[in-house]
Amino acid sequence: MSDTLQLIRDVVSAVLMLTGSLLALVSSIGLFRFSSTRARMHATTKPATLGVLLCAIGAAMQFGDVSSVAKLAVIVVLQLVAAPIGAHMLGRAVGGK
Amino acid sequence: MTIVAYLSLGFLALAGSLGVLRIVRHATLGDRAVAFDMLTSILTCGLLVSSGIAIDGLNLDLAVLLGLLGFVASVTIARFIESRNEAES
Repeated sequence: MSDTLQLIRDVVSAVLMLTGSLLALVSSIGLFRFSSTRARMHATTKPATLGVLLCAIGAAMQFGDVSSVAKLAVIVVLQLVAAPIGAHMLGRAVGGK
Repeated sequence: MTIVAYLSLGFLALAGSLGVLRIVRHATLGDRAVAFDMLTSILTCGLLVSSGIAIDGLNLDLAVLLGLLGFVASVTIARFIESRNEAES
């Protein structure tokens, strides 16, 4: 029973981590394929929030202690607050170019 | 789990290399700032994945730091571009 639970936990966390990494790869391809700076920002701001969130949830399933999971929660909250603000300021700065 | 580590960190390494290539090769300052922003989030992802697979919470402090540093860096570059645009016009 415990082995089955362990396997399920490993598979779910592996899928989450792989999805987050694939998202980062796709966005870096978008960095080359899109035509303007704002279009490129559209591609790169997705892994900044969703990719980090997926990787953090995947890592949190592996940890057993509360302090590491709390740190992961801090990372996710920080990223969810900071990434849109930074992207907004950059988008305002580059204008319509 | 080892295969997952290789695959996931391989994807992230490829993404990071593409981001560095974008910063180095023919890009404007805004493009570089965007690519740098993406690089910090890729590094955060890499730290999270590696510490999750090793089940070692030591590197998580670095990820917190990296998130803060990336935010400060992109805001600073954005303000610099804005002030330069105002000076030109």
